Amino acid sequence: MNDDVIAKWELSRRRVLGAAVGLGLLGPGAAFGQASGPWSQAPRSKVDRLNFVVWTYGDIYSRIAKQFEADWGVKVDSTISSFNDHPTKLATMFAAGEKIDVSQSSPFSFPNFINQGLVEPLDGLPGAADYAKDFTAFTKQVAVVNGKIMGLPYFSAVWVWNYYADMMEKLKIDKPFTTYDEFIEHCVKAKKDGVSRYPVLWVAGVGLEQLPGTWYQMTWNRGGTFFDKQGNHMLGAGSVARETLKWWANTFEKGLDISDPESLKVQFTTSAKAFGAGKNLYRGPNHHYGLNVANDPAQSPIAGKVKVHVSPGEGKTIGVSHVYFLSSANRDKEWAWKLLQYLGGRTKDGNYTQANGLAKDAMLGSGYTSVMNSDVIKQGWAPWGDVPAILKIWDQATYIGEVCSSIYQPWHFPWTDQLNIEVQKCLTGQITADQCCDNLIKGIADAKRKV
Amino acid sequence: MTLAAPKMAIDRPAKRRRSSREMSAGWFAFFMNVPTLLFLGLVLAWPVLYAGYLSVHRVGLAQLRRGEFPFNGWENYGRVLEDPLFWTALQNTAVFTAITVSTEVVLAVMIALLINQSSIWTSRITRLLILLPYAIPPIANGLIWSFMYSFQFGFLNRILFTLGLISDPVNWAGNPDTALYAVTVPYIWRTLPFAIILVHAALQGVPRELYEQAAVDGAHAWRRFWHITLPLLRPVIAVILILRTAFAFAVFEEILAITQGGPGDATWVAAWYSYKITFSPPNNFGMGSASAFILALMIGVMALIYLRTIYRRVTL
Repeated sequence: MNDDVIAKWELSRRRVLGAAVGLGLLGPGAAFGQASGPWSQAPRSKVDRLNFVVWTYGDIYSRIAKQFEADWGVKVDSTISSFNDHPTKLATMFAAGEKIDVSQSSPFSFPNFINQGLVEPLDGLPGAADYAKDFTAFTKQVAVVNGKIMGLPYFSAVWVWNYYADMMEKLKIDKPFTTYDEFIEHCVKAKKDGVSRYPVLWVAGVGLEQLPGTWYQMTWNRGGTFFDKQGNHMLGAGSVARETLKWWANTFEKGLDISDPESLKVQFTTSAKAFGAGKNLYRGPNHHYGLNVANDPAQSPIAGKVKVHVSPGEGKTIGVSHVYFLSSANRDKEWAWKLLQYLGGRTKDGNYTQANGLAKDAMLGSGYTSVMNSDVIKQGWAPWGDVPAILKIWDQATYIGEVCSSIYQPWHFPWTDQLNIEVQKCLTGQITADQCCDNLIKGIADAKRKV
Repeated sequence: MTLAAPKMAIDRPAKRRRSSREMSAGWFAFFMNVPTLLFLGLVLAWPVLYAGYLSVHRVGLAQLRRGEFPFNGWENYGRVLEDPLFWTALQNTAVFTAITVSTEVVLAVMIALLINQSSIWTSRITRLLILLPYAIPPIANGLIWSFMYSFQFGFLNRILFTLGLISDPVNWAGNPDTALYAVTVPYIWRTLPFAIILVHAALQGVPRELYEQAAVDGAHAWRRFWHITLPLLRPVIAVILILRTAFAFAVFEEILAITQGGPGDATWVAAWYSYKITFSPPNNFGMGSASAFILALMIGVMALIYLRTIYRRVTL
């Protein structure tokens, strides 16, 4: 998550009460936590304070820190930076020998953090095994490494398409595309009719899952992957990934010129905000929760008109989970575990407070099966989109690691740096898709050397 | 000559002036410089030397945490020099530096000459206003220009469109053909005041008589500038060249705020390369230090070239 972490968490008193009432009506699994359990017992040791190092997301961290202090009498300090700066901040604090109790990670940085000794396994800690039983399949892929529980879930998301319903109507197109040819047809028509200068807005800004995620998703949707089970690349001549890139590049300026040039800069939330301006017909596959920006009247002039759409063919798409973890530089393992649970597990009352709140207020998916199956999701997401449609897409989603298994490797991060560069060069017509893929194949060995 | 207690030295007989208790000018200067040297050594030299030490060791997060750095000789330097991205970054840095430094020098001299005209009352206001961009933090400057350059909603495209200069918006920061040049503008805008101030200060020191004599001899404005002003500005221009080159080589904030190195590698510069290598996983501090040292070496060479060409000729 990147700029998705901006300002979308404004939990008013009314909302809290509303949520509490709403949750009270739900089943015991989701709404009422199990009041007695390891999460309700105080650690035997004593600490004056604890801290976490996280990336920004509204005021969720100040609120959860206050709740922790109120419940346990221990003050919590927070170091909060932007998503992109988070690995840097965490790395420098760790290198400088500072105490870090709890932190978080995208699945792309996580293998690196584990590899460099930042992450403490959770096995054997009270209640950890119970959490693992409730992990969704996505979460297991990130949080369980070599059979060890290495983290608790922060949130999950799946890649979906969006379209602007009014523009579709104006173009007299009765339903969104079902094939990529139809997609091109719609976009060319929108441009030709003067309805939209740039009919499609992609999320192709530099990032770990922004531009790469768009390519991964479309490749997977067409039946391809980036690496096979043995870890061999699947980027050679004629590969699905290569052909997908050729197709994608052709939508940009040097080809059909139907792609919004802003695509190369936008991240998840900024693309949702830009789409809210109502100038594009489609918004390329990206995190589902962009709808809570594009359909928010306070942020989008076309709120309510942005619809979710399934990917072509069988509707294959990808999903991702981010995690919180216990830092190996913690000051007290038992207390750090307690704090970690407030962020990624249960609070003292046994509720998944943070996960429920994120689902209800920010449209984020949960890494816990019980939360995903609860009414918190169904009711919480309803203001922004067609929940059954999204959940159907969710069921068809495959974890991103299946598509690009290098994410489990420490060299994935430097390789992604190169991927961002090469693919942007390809999309802007500086190199061909063939050259791009050839460079990326060569880059695998270079990235491995950098680790 | 002695500098210590000059009044007493005048009163004393010549013989006593060479007393062993009196300090020579060289020693006096040396001792006066010691506190500054110590301070600089502590806050500048130590980190630089430490980075040099890291550059010949294998240093990741785990090593930094443990404080144990396996020696790996010149391996980090070798890997940096083998990396094509480093050379791309260096090339972009050279282009960026050439454009920004040359533009700044020319504009600084022109603007300083203008605001030096005491007969024009507006020049006094200009003198104040000219400092404003220098007061803006670099990262804020980058963000401001990022908004200005926005493809669909930016002021720049809006103004150009309104004036009829463009019919379609231009993707200033998102097009690989224009991105690097687009980043030079905010940088020049922010740092130009520094150069103007230096040139303006130097202009204050040019004796009026020289211009008066030249005017009597019939020299017109251009000849007066070429034969009087410019030669006398050479030392300060050399200083500007050295400082601005050093800073332009290390440009970072505008890149971070506007392009983040993109699109592709179109705006990857040397400092961005060092930053990414060091602070992005896998956090290769050794390699990052090596790349920074190579950059420092290049800046040093450039400074020497300036000193040997421009500065020395004037002092002769």
